[in-house]
Amino acid sequence: MASVTVRNAVKSYGTMEVLHGVSLAAQDGEFVVLVGPSGCGKSTLLRMIAGLESITDGDIDIGGRVVNELEPKERDIAMVFQSYALYPHMTVRDNMGFALKLSRRSRKEIEDAVNRAAGILALEPLLDRYPRQLSGGQRQRVAMGRAIVRNPAVFLFDEPLSNLDAKLRVQMRSEIKALHQRLGSTMIYVTHDQMEAMTMADRIVVMRAGRIEQIGTPLEIYDTPANSFVGSFIGSPSMNLIEGVVVDDAGAAALKGRDGTLWSLPGRAAAYKGRSIQLGIRPEHIHIKSDGIAAEIRTVEPTGAETHVQMQAGDTPVVAVLRDRPSLAPGGPLSFGFDVARAGLFDLQTGNSLA
Amino acid sequence: MTIAQETAAETAPAATTRRRSRLDVREGRTAFFFLLPSLIGVTLFLVLPIVASIVLSFTNWKLLGKPQFVGVANYVRLFTADPQFWTILRNTLFFTAEYLVLNIVISVGLAVWISSLKVGQRWFRVIFFLPTFTPTIAVAIVWMLMFAPGGLFETVMRALSWSVPGVLTDQTLAMQAVVVVSLWAGVGYNTVLFNAALDMVPASYLEAARIDGATAWDRFWKIRLPLISPTLFFGTVMTAITSLQVFDQIYVMTRGGPGSATATLGYAVYQKGFQNFQMGYASSIAWVMFALIMALTAMQFWLQRKWVHYDN
Amino acid sequence: MTTRSKPAAARRALLLDILNHGALALVALLFLFPFFWMVSNAVRSNAEVLAIPVRLLPTVFEWDNFAKAWTEQPFGRFFLNSFIIAASVTAITVVVSCLSGYAFARLKFPGRDLLLMGYLGTLMVPGIMLIIPLYLIINSLGMVNTFQGVILPVAFGTFGSFLLRQFFLSIPNELEEAARVDGASRLRILVSIIVPLSMPAIGLLSLFTFIAQWNNFLWPLIVMTGAENATLPVGLTLFQTQQATAWNYIMAGATLSMLPGIVLAILLQKLIYNSIALNAGMGGR
Repeated sequence: MASVTVRNAVKSYGTMEVLHGVSLAAQDGEFVVLVGPSGCGKSTLLRMIAGLESITDGDIDIGGRVVNELEPKERDIAMVFQSYALYPHMTVRDNMGFALKLSRRSRKEIEDAVNRAAGILALEPLLDRYPRQLSGGQRQRVAMGRAIVRNPAVFLFDEPLSNLDAKLRVQMRSEIKALHQRLGSTMIYVTHDQMEAMTMADRIVVMRAGRIEQIGTPLEIYDTPANSFVGSFIGSPSMNLIEGVVVDDAGAAALKGRDGTLWSLPGRAAAYKGRSIQLGIRPEHIHIKSDGIAAEIRTVEPTGAETHVQMQAGDTPVVAVLRDRPSLAPGGPLSFGFDVARAGLFDLQTGNSLA
Repeated sequence: MTIAQETAAETAPAATTRRRSRLDVREGRTAFFFLLPSLIGVTLFLVLPIVASIVLSFTNWKLLGKPQFVGVANYVRLFTADPQFWTILRNTLFFTAEYLVLNIVISVGLAVWISSLKVGQRWFRVIFFLPTFTPTIAVAIVWMLMFAPGGLFETVMRALSWSVPGVLTDQTLAMQAVVVVSLWAGVGYNTVLFNAALDMVPASYLEAARIDGATAWDRFWKIRLPLISPTLFFGTVMTAITSLQVFDQIYVMTRGGPGSATATLGYAVYQKGFQNFQMGYASSIAWVMFALIMALTAMQFWLQRKWVHYDN
Repeated sequence: MTTRSKPAAARRALLLDILNHGALALVALLFLFPFFWMVSNAVRSNAEVLAIPVRLLPTVFEWDNFAKAWTEQPFGRFFLNSFIIAASVTAITVVVSCLSGYAFARLKFPGRDLLLMGYLGTLMVPGIMLIIPLYLIINSLGMVNTFQGVILPVAFGTFGSFLLRQFFLSIPNELEEAARVDGASRLRILVSIIVPLSMPAIGLLSLFTFIAQWNNFLWPLIVMTGAENATLPVGLTLFQTQQATAWNYIMAGATLSMLPGIVLAILLQKLIYNSIALNAGMGGR
């Protein structure tokens, strides 16, 4: 078990720089998730930590020692790949024991380690099968078993659930989380799925275009996003972002949209009177209010537990997630309010959160 | 709250601090060791000989003694003074032309015929392919027995009341015998090649043509042949290149004779180099051959624009 | 088409099919005749070979001519020499091509693409041009009339590097990355992961290299002097020159020389067809 520290890591391919000096610190035993849209550099960063990509500038530290120039096998890490990367010509047992065989452990040691890992993941009946005879979920577990056998200081996961169907993904998510609780190892996990990030992480690292946008616990990121990108990336359906100017409405600060609609603003918005800003309202913070903002319902999507409503308030499309099964019809009117205290304020140009 | 913001403030764009990582250096070193056997072999047995061959062609080395630089004397002698050269050149071109045309026609014919079968396609492919996997020398020796005076060929010809002189000792027929032997040994590969190409023509094209009223003849000339023309081109170029270098069957059957009737460039290189030991002169012949191959290949590439249809 | 003429038309189609197959079968049989003639003459006495009129089959079958050709006549030795050379060249070629093919496919190093193009260039050089300088090199190394002299210059062709590089590229990168994380060195990856997964390509390379070397004539002819080290093709011509009348043994020797090729062509026909079909699909388009 070890901590992982990245200091100002830069990665360039030739003259093209893809990681612009990122820094993060994963504590010993922490489950850190790197999340972001495709191309944001999260996989590149993970591979640099693994040693599969060289680092152009900056330092990577595992367990207190700088590992920049070390080969993957010297870094005491194990990795679970998106496509599992199981050796097709070896049995599950041999797949899991390969690393130990390479480091010349005794046969007994290897057998014990493989059996132990197989026990943790319920792989015993599959030990003599070949990868092609296994289902996707089983292969994923073998890939994890291969990592566990090595007893590494750090586990690295590169989008391991992307190739699984939705139901299996949910199930494997909790299995990985349970594994983390059982082993207590440091785990760094890459995904593009914000739901995975929210449910699994101790801390989330949100990345975009080669930079880190925000690091925080899931609730920190959810409640106080650092900018509008993070705000809309985390949470599904996405946060509603409304543009407008901060005006005074009977003594209180309010946002006046381009179509004239007035939106309530939290008290601290008063400091920004006259400025054009973005107001961020999460769909789940919207509720029906009789004298609130008027909107016309476009679509109604009941999911059973909630009702997703897409509506048009003036010129602004708004998505709301409502509970308690209100009876709504497309085309009909809806008057709504929202939890003003939890709304976000963002600068229009930079997207940064406004204090 | 965010490290990113602090970091953005600290670091100036450091894009091109290119310290070459030790990981990359290590990879480069590994690559060197992996390549070493191949590099040594290629340098010693491919690059060095190519260079030496050029140099040799400008000398008059005869294996013993020191080589003397003679400039282009070899080439001059080749083209002006050597009485045999033009015969040899003509023989080579004649053989190549005749063999190439016959090979392609026969192998395309066989390929089409095989693809028209309902059963046993692969066995016919194997049968025609067999000679290509056997030593040309052995093939030539067997045919030589058949062509021998008093042998099978003569007997068959006499039965058909065609009086034929000793094939291998006749000025014109000797070359034809070489062509026949080469064809028997060589059509198999192209047959399989073109058969595979024909099998890859999507059936939908042919069905559409049938509905449009095309006969089998039409379908062959207007659809199947054009669609396999890239493969035809490939096979033609490969066959031309190898047929220009023909040697084995000539060594066995005729030794270039009678007279110089079947002497080709390939045989001449051997003869001048390893029977007369005129290494320099033989090298210049080899380079003429190379130039011929290049020219022929270039010509074929130029011609392909007209008759080869590519998918894109 | 009315229902009444359908069976007639179907019967006619079947008849044409049978005729079609039959005609090609006839052609194929005629095509196979030289093989038959070779064996037929191998199992008769020399007198019968040269007898006039020519007979399709001998009156007396001398099946032990093959055994005699192997033991009393030198063809057994020629066969062995051919095998040693072909097998050695194949082994060296496979090893060297695996190593270099892997380097080209997976390792990054400066000048890689340039070197690859250089290798491509060497493919275009016709063999006959190298014969003389190669002989001089072998001569200067004192390797004339030795096995090494025949084997080494032909074992380093670049074709294998290309073939294997192509195949290695098709193996998912993640397999190797997993192995690297597991602690495998590059060599270990090549031997334990890549090679086992590349058996089709390696099999193909081995097959074509072996056959090409087995059938090779000009190069062993030049390097080997005398009958002691001669390969089968060279031995055949030597024998023919020295014992011009022993045609039956010559035919037996020719049969022996054709055996590996024929056996492999039949047994591995699928592999051969697939590799040629690749040429038809790629070298074409």
